[in-house]
Amino acid sequence: MMVSAFDKPIADPKSQLHNAQHGANIAFTTSRRQSAYCKVSSNIKALVRLLGIFLMAEGVLMLLCLIPAIHFVDHSANGILVSGLFTLAVGLYMWISCSDFKVLSDRRLSFVFVVVLWLVLALFGSLPFLATGAVRTFTNAYFETLSGFTSSGATIFEEVQHLPSSILLWRSMSQWIGGFGIILLVLAIAPTLGINKFSLYTAETSIQDPSVSLVGTTGMTVRRMLVVYVLLSAIFVWLYSKTGLPLWDAVNLTFSNISSGGFSIYNDGIASLTAAQQYITALAMLLSGVNFTMLYLLISFRWNKIAGRYEQVRVYLLLFFIMAVLASVALHTRMGYGWSDSVRLSVVQSASVISTTGTMVADTSQWWMPVSFLFVILSLCGGMAGSTSGGIKVMRVMILVRNVRTILKNRLHPSAVNPVRLNGRPVAHPIINNVMVLFFVYALVIIIGVFCLILSGETGTEAIGAMVGCITGYGPGLGVSGGFGNYAAFADVSKWICIAAMLLGRLECITVLVLFYPPLWKLR
Amino acid sequence: MNYRCVFQLLSLLLIVEAVVMIGCGVLSWFVGDGAVAGFGIAALVVLIVALSLRMAAGRHVRYQLSERDSFWVTSLAWIVVPVMGCLPFMLTGQAHRWVDALFESFSGFTTTGSTIFDDPACLPISVLVWRSLTQWVGGLGLVLLMVALMRRISHGTWYLYDAEFSGTQQRRLYPKLSGSVGRMAIVYVSVSLALVFILLLLGNNPIDSVCLALSTTSTGGFMTSSVGLAGLGNATLIVITLFMFMSGVNLAVIYNVVTFKWRRLHRLDEFRAYVVVYFVAVALSVIALLLAHNDWRSAVGFSLFHIASTISTCGFYAYSPAHWTFGVSVITFFLLFVGASSGATGGGVKVKRILVLTRYIRNYFTRIVYPHAVFNVKVDGMVLTDEYNNKVFAFVFTYLAFVLGGAFLLTLSGCDIPTSVTLAAANMCNLGPVPVDGLLGVSASYLALPTLSKYTLMVLMVAGRIEIFALLAIFSPAYWRKK
Repeated sequence: MMVSAFDKPIADPKSQLHNAQHGANIAFTTSRRQSAYCKVSSNIKALVRLLGIFLMAEGVLMLLCLIPAIHFVDHSANGILVSGLFTLAVGLYMWISCSDFKVLSDRRLSFVFVVVLWLVLALFGSLPFLATGAVRTFTNAYFETLSGFTSSGATIFEEVQHLPSSILLWRSMSQWIGGFGIILLVLAIAPTLGINKFSLYTAETSIQDPSVSLVGTTGMTVRRMLVVYVLLSAIFVWLYSKTGLPLWDAVNLTFSNISSGGFSIYNDGIASLTAAQQYITALAMLLSGVNFTMLYLLISFRWNKIAGRYEQVRVYLLLFFIMAVLASVALHTRMGYGWSDSVRLSVVQSASVISTTGTMVADTSQWWMPVSFLFVILSLCGGMAGSTSGGIKVMRVMILVRNVRTILKNRLHPSAVNPVRLNGRPVAHPIINNVMVLFFVYALVIIIGVFCLILSGETGTEAIGAMVGCITGYGPGLGVSGGFGNYAAFADVSKWICIAAMLLGRLECITVLVLFYPPLWKLR
Repeated sequence: MNYRCVFQLLSLLLIVEAVVMIGCGVLSWFVGDGAVAGFGIAALVVLIVALSLRMAAGRHVRYQLSERDSFWVTSLAWIVVPVMGCLPFMLTGQAHRWVDALFESFSGFTTTGSTIFDDPACLPISVLVWRSLTQWVGGLGLVLLMVALMRRISHGTWYLYDAEFSGTQQRRLYPKLSGSVGRMAIVYVSVSLALVFILLLLGNNPIDSVCLALSTTSTGGFMTSSVGLAGLGNATLIVITLFMFMSGVNLAVIYNVVTFKWRRLHRLDEFRAYVVVYFVAVALSVIALLLAHNDWRSAVGFSLFHIASTISTCGFYAYSPAHWTFGVSVITFFLLFVGASSGATGGGVKVKRILVLTRYIRNYFTRIVYPHAVFNVKVDGMVLTDEYNNKVFAFVFTYLAFVLGGAFLLTLSGCDIPTSVTLAAANMCNLGPVPVDGLLGVSASYLALPTLSKYTLMVLMVAGRIEIFALLAIFSPAYWRKK
């Protein structure tokens, strides 16, 4: 494999990624300074080439949005065609012009890559919005696109029903791509880049069985995950169609809910759908918060492998259940809904919150404040590790809470050996501490973000709502940005803060923040 | 469980409380403010409870405490004493509802300083002094008081100590705990007395001097006027600033300085961090204020005073609300969580824990950059183990969880989310008065809060004061499970 890396330029991303981890072993025969220079330029080329591949894929997907544009004849075809071809061309150029690289061997660049990937994809992804004239300013277009690619679901559109169909599909699709992207990152790319070794994905990959060992090489993992993702989406499109929803709506709803995104193609969230369709949506959202490896096992009927290994499923469902019960009681007693309505609304909304989807079944900004506050806390908790959902992740919260319990136990029985256990296996202190660091960094980022938002002119409640909404990928906040609301009224600075929050939240803060840690750039 | 010893300890504490009440009654009789009867009845009730506890304990008390008992003693002491302490407020007719009296008492003993009195200046002098005394007693730590009083406990005093100061390894002043506590108490008392004298010398009236001195050294924050300390002279404010700053310092450090034991003063990472945080915060606050109003003198004065008041979790205010710019609020919010040094009378997460946390996070990022290198987290030159760090983090996590949970309960009674979070944080950290728009202007009190919110805040105050774990332990199922 390594010899082939030298012999011919590498064409597909998976073997490049595979080689990335072996890069450090390669010795250069030229002088040290020259070799360092070669290495850096080679690394940057590798990076650009990788980006090119992703951009080409994005361009192709953009062009797919031509189908509804032509079918519904809404004069958006030109804009989509231009932006799709432009993206494709840039991607192709990047790919071709950087073909003479060796391997991506710089770990710094692997961090840069992950961040730049999201930023660049969103940059080109905002072209359709601008080219079709759906959005006037770049800030808004970028906000909407990054919100899509981070599968947040925070929107700047006050009304979506008048938008061209191609734009609606592109919005839904960007989430679908973003959702798959994060699974790809966590389960396939991060392990090969060596990111999980240090930090953020540790919890996912080292405690439960890593998906990599489950299905073999990175390439196989990616392929199978893609199959599962597409299959799952197809199932939900079929389910929606069964309830009499047009194919167009079914596809869009599936895209935005299975990826825990939350963009809607209706002005009023999913409030106008039938009860059955809403429950299907709830199911899709719940599944989007489930660990992807587990979904894979579930779909491939290897249920015996799931048993006993996924304690977080239990907690995930328990949290969902508690939230649904509390919310329905609150809705019934406080808001005067009938039982069937309050149960339906709270089940769907709780699923939306815990999976950090952000699909709205009712105008939650009118709901009782404590319920909204619980939603905020629950969305911070988020879905399961290794899923498309955001937040701190159920597994980490479990580790944090169990750690406190263990400390109490140890105080009572000082000489007992009493480790924190997850899935029956002890979790070492360093891992718990890493989870703690993530939690504190997360909390700090939220607090700083809230203050920045207040400084740029939002009220306290809105700032908290928007910050938590964006960093967890839930999307809607509190107040004007909550419920059926949107972020259009936010100042431009606030929007950029939200954009930063979405990116930080999606990449679990540390991947982004480490780029601002000076010693990283003093390396070598 | 050693109930007898627990009862014995509690009765002792209550007797001390009754004695203090009687003292206030005598004061009331001297100045003739009409609160004699109230204090008398309150003291009588407390004495009766104390004596019945003593009877329940019986004669044959085994003076040994296990780790389990220590949680009980700590939690019970911090519940029973404040509950009894609410009697004078109620019986002298100053508080109109039990929940208000309880709130004031809890706020006092936990050195929080949130008050329900709109205008403390209208209170009888004896009640004012009682309020400040509750803080002063609470500032020393009820449990430490117990240890100091009960020298007969042969086993388990350090458990008690740990139960109250969970997880910050304190250096011992003296091999025996009661010896350490005695020395700390001496420092505490002499600092308080010194402040009373200085305030008197500066020409303040005796009641203000005593009450403010007690509030300052205990980092409580009850004030004697509805305008805070605004009416006092500049010299007084400077002195109080100095003493507030000092109250946030570990008592052991002060002891070593005062007794000229310089050799014990090496490697004061926490003290250094405390000073650095203080001055950085002052600098930031001055900048924030200068951006708002171009007035050097008041900006510097306000910042020095306000930051000292916040970082020691004292909670005094002396300046007009115009100084509460957004920047100041932000700094205040962060300082809230930093809190005082460990081993001081102040609340908050404590500088030492924040120090461990920040050093660990830096270490974490360094490990990302150099994955194969070994870096340690050190405080005071000692390598901290992962287990120790873990305890510190768990504490901070639980602290934040309590703040969030408390904020949720506050929203139940109609506060909006930012207000709830601020109130929960301010009371959890035992700061007390915080200006929140619409609810607590600088002169307003907690009186208007609904009952549920008051109880929530009381729980938070106690949890923050005894550093959560003792309280959490007695509510955990594992505690009650039979061996």
